[in-house]
Amino acid sequence: MEQTLAQTLEIRDLHVRVEGKEILKGVTLTVRPGETHALMGPNGSGKSTLSYTLMGHPKYEIVGGEVLLNGESLLALSPDERARRGLFLAMQYPVSVPGVTLYTFLRAAASAMRGYGEAARRSGDQRLHAHLIPAREFRQEVNAEIGKLKMDQAFLNRYLNEGFSGGEKKRAEILQMALLKPRIAILDETDSGLDIDALRIVSEGVNRLQAELGMGLLVITHYQRLLNYIRPEHVHIFYNGRVVHSAGPELVEKLEAQGYDWVQAEFGV
Amino acid sequence: MSKPANQHVNGNGLNGNGGAAKAEMLTLEANTAAVEALSDYYAEPAWMRAARRDAWAHYERMDWPHTKEEAWRRLPLARYPLENRQIAVAPNPLQALRSLPACWLSPLAPQPQVSGIVVHQNGAVAYQDIEAQAAKQGIVVMDLHAALHTHGDLIRRYWMQGTITRPDFNKFTALNAALWHGGTFVYVPEGARALRPLQAMVGYDDQGSTGLHHTLVVVEKGARLTLIQDRRSLEFLPELNSEMVEIYAEEGAWVRYVSLQHWGEQRHSVSVQNARVARDAHLLWVNVALGGQMTKDFLRTDLLAPGAHGVMQGLTFAAKEQVMDQSTYQLHQAPDTYSDLLFRNVLRDQAKTVFYGMIRVEPGAQGTQGYQANNNLLLGKARAHAIPGLEIAANDVRCSHGATVSRLDEEQLFYLQARGIARYDAEQLLVQGFLRPIIERVPLACMRDGLDEEIAQRFRESPAQTQ
Ligand SMILES: Nc1ncnc2c1ncn2[C@@H]1O[C@H](COP(=O)(O)OP(=O)(O)OP(=O)(O)O)[C@@H](O)[C@H]1O
Ligand SMILES: [Mg+2]
Repeated sequence: MEQTLAQTLEIRDLHVRVEGKEILKGVTLTVRPGETHALMGPNGSGKSTLSYTLMGHPKYEIVGGEVLLNGESLLALSPDERARRGLFLAMQYPVSVPGVTLYTFLRAAASAMRGYGEAARRSGDQRLHAHLIPAREFRQEVNAEIGKLKMDQAFLNRYLNEGFSGGEKKRAEILQMALLKPRIAILDETDSGLDIDALRIVSEGVNRLQAELGMGLLVITHYQRLLNYIRPEHVHIFYNGRVVHSAGPELVEKLEAQGYDWVQAEFGV
Repeated sequence: MSKPANQHVNGNGLNGNGGAAKAEMLTLEANTAAVEALSDYYAEPAWMRAARRDAWAHYERMDWPHTKEEAWRRLPLARYPLENRQIAVAPNPLQALRSLPACWLSPLAPQPQVSGIVVHQNGAVAYQDIEAQAAKQGIVVMDLHAALHTHGDLIRRYWMQGTITRPDFNKFTALNAALWHGGTFVYVPEGARALRPLQAMVGYDDQGSTGLHHTLVVVEKGARLTLIQDRRSLEFLPELNSEMVEIYAEEGAWVRYVSLQHWGEQRHSVSVQNARVARDAHLLWVNVALGGQMTKDFLRTDLLAPGAHGVMQGLTFAAKEQVMDQSTYQLHQAPDTYSDLLFRNVLRDQAKTVFYGMIRVEPGAQGTQGYQANNNLLLGKARAHAIPGLEIAANDVRCSHGATVSRLDEEQLFYLQARGIARYDAEQLLVQGFLRPIIERVPLACMRDGLDEEIAQRFRESPAQTQ
C-alpha cells in the first residue's frame, strides 16, 4: 500500500532531547537501498535513542534536524505510519504484551501493513475479522517463516514476548521483520541474547530478506561476531550523541581490538 | 438434540412437564395477591406456597437498602425503578428462539455443541431440550416451575440454603423469593456428566416487566457440570431485575458456571448468587457482565469442607453512564480450602465500576489459600473504585489481595504501532488482551469469538481514547 520499493533513509543533523536532556547532538547518516551500515558506540552514547526517534516514539523531543524517507520527512508521522512506509525497528528491549498472543499480534500487524484495515474501513465491513488477512492464508505464511527461523510453533499461542527468554524475544523480532517486509530495518542489538546457532539462523534470515527486498540495514551492535554474518559496507562510530567517524568494515576490527578510548583522543569528543 | 426445535415449541406444557394447561398470559401487580396467584398458576406444592408467603412477609417488613449501608454506598439506588412492580408471564417461544445468538442455536446444528438447553422468555419457559445421553443419566436442565413437579423433594432440600440466597438477605432477595417466576433448574445426579455444556437463556422483551428469575443448580457427589447461562433484554422504559442463583457442588463434584449478562440499556439489576462447595469439590465461576444501566451483583463462594476449591473470574466492560457494582465474597469455612479470584473491568466514557472483594478465613480453617485480584483499565473519564478486604481468623494461611487501576501502557502502544498497527487498533488489541485471561476460561470457541467481537464492538463505539 504505502510502501514503495527501495527506500533511502536520510538523517540530517538530528538533535533530540529526552526529559529535558539533549541526548542526540547532530546525527547525520544516510542508508541507501541494499546497503548495510553498522553503528557501534559505547553504552549510553545514544544509539537506542536514535532508533526510537527514527521510529517515532513519543517520548523523544526533536529539537533540530530532519529525517527523510525517500525525500519525505518522517517527523510528523506516527509510528504506525512510519512502519507502513517501510521502516522497521527490531528493538533492543522488546516489550511484552500480556493477553495478546504472538499469532494475534502478527496477524494484526501484517494485515495493517498490507492494507486490510483500510479496505475494511472503506467498505464499512464491521465484522471482527474483516480487517484481517484470512486465517488459513496467514497461518500458512507464518508457519513457513517460523520454520525458517527454527522457532517452535508453540510460541504463536503464547502472549507476545511474555516470559520469552532474551534470545527468544530477538528471534521473534526477526520473525516480525520477515512477515512485515520492511524497506529499511534498524536492528538494535539484535545479537545480544542469541546463542551461537541462533545468531547464525537469525543473520541468515536477515541476509535473505535483504536479498529479497533490497532492504537498507542499520545494524547497532557491540560485537564483531554479528558482523561476521551480516557484513556491513559502512561502519560508523557513535559517540556522545552523534556519528564521529565512518569507514569501511576494517573499522570493526580496530574497535574490537582497541575499544573506544582512542576515539576521544582522535576526534576530540 | 435430534429433533428440530419447532417440534418442541408449543407455548406451554413443554415436554409434558408443565402440569395443567395454563392461560397464555398472566399479568399481575406485585402484591400479596400475586403470591397466591403465582402459586395457583403453577399448581405449586404447599411448601413452596408457604415459602413464598413467608418471603413476602419479609419483603413487607424490610426497607429498601440505604446508601448508608456499605454495600450500597456507591450505587444511586434512588434511580432504580423500585415502585409499581409488574409481573408478566408471557412467553413468545418462536420469537425467543429467533433472538438467540447464533452460537446458541448449535443444538439444532448437525454437530451439537451442547448437551441440553432451556430458554426462558418473559418469565416463562419457551423451549427446552436435552440429549438422550444426558437424560438417561438423570441429568436435567429445565424450567424450575415444571421441576417442582418432577424433582420437588430435591428442590425443597436445597431451596435457599445459601448464606446470602435467603429471603431475608435484603429486600431484593425477599422480592425474588416471594414472586419468582421463570426459573432454571439444573440437576446432575451422583457420578453423572453430560458430554457437553448445558445452556440456559433468560430473556425479556418490552412485554416482560420485572425480572424475577431464580436459578437452582445441584451437582451431586462426583458429578460434573458446565453450565452457560446468558441474560438478554430489550426494554423501552427503565425496568427492574432481581435475580437469584444458587449453586450446590456436593462432595467431589466439578462445576463450571459461566454467567453472561447482556441486559438492555434500561435494566436496573440486583443479583444475589451463592455457590456452596463441599469437600473436594471444584468450582470454576466465570462472570461476564456487559449490560444493564445499573447493576449490583453479590457473588459469593462458600468453601465448606476440606479440599473445596473455588476459582472466580470476572470481566465487565462498562460504557457511557453505566454503573456496575460487584461485591464478591470468598468464605473459607474449613481447613485446606483454596480460592482464587480475578476480576477485571474495562471502563470508558462516564462509566463507573465498584468492586468490593472480601476473603474471610474462619477460625480453624488452617492451611487455607485465598487470593484475590481486581484490575481496572480506564479509558476516558471513567471511575473505578476498588475496595479489597481480608478477614483472617486463622494463622496458617496464605492469602493475598490486590487492586490496580491503570490506563493503557504507552510502551505497549508504541510497540504495536511500530509494527504498523494504527493507534486505535492497537488500543483495541490491548483492551482485548487485558480481558483475555477471563475470556480464555469460557468454553466453546464460538462463545469466546462472540465475546471478543462484543468487546471489540463496545470499544469501537467510542473515539480514540488516548490520542
Ligand atoms: N527517559 C530517559 N530519561 C533520562 N535519560 C534517558 C532516558 N532515556 C535515555 N536516557 C539516557 O540517554 C542516554 C542514551 O541512552 P541510549 O539507550 O540511547 O544509549 P545506547 O547507546 O543505546 O546504550 P547501550 O549500548 O547501553 O544500549 C543514556 O545516558 C540514558 O541514560
Ligand atoms: Mg541501546
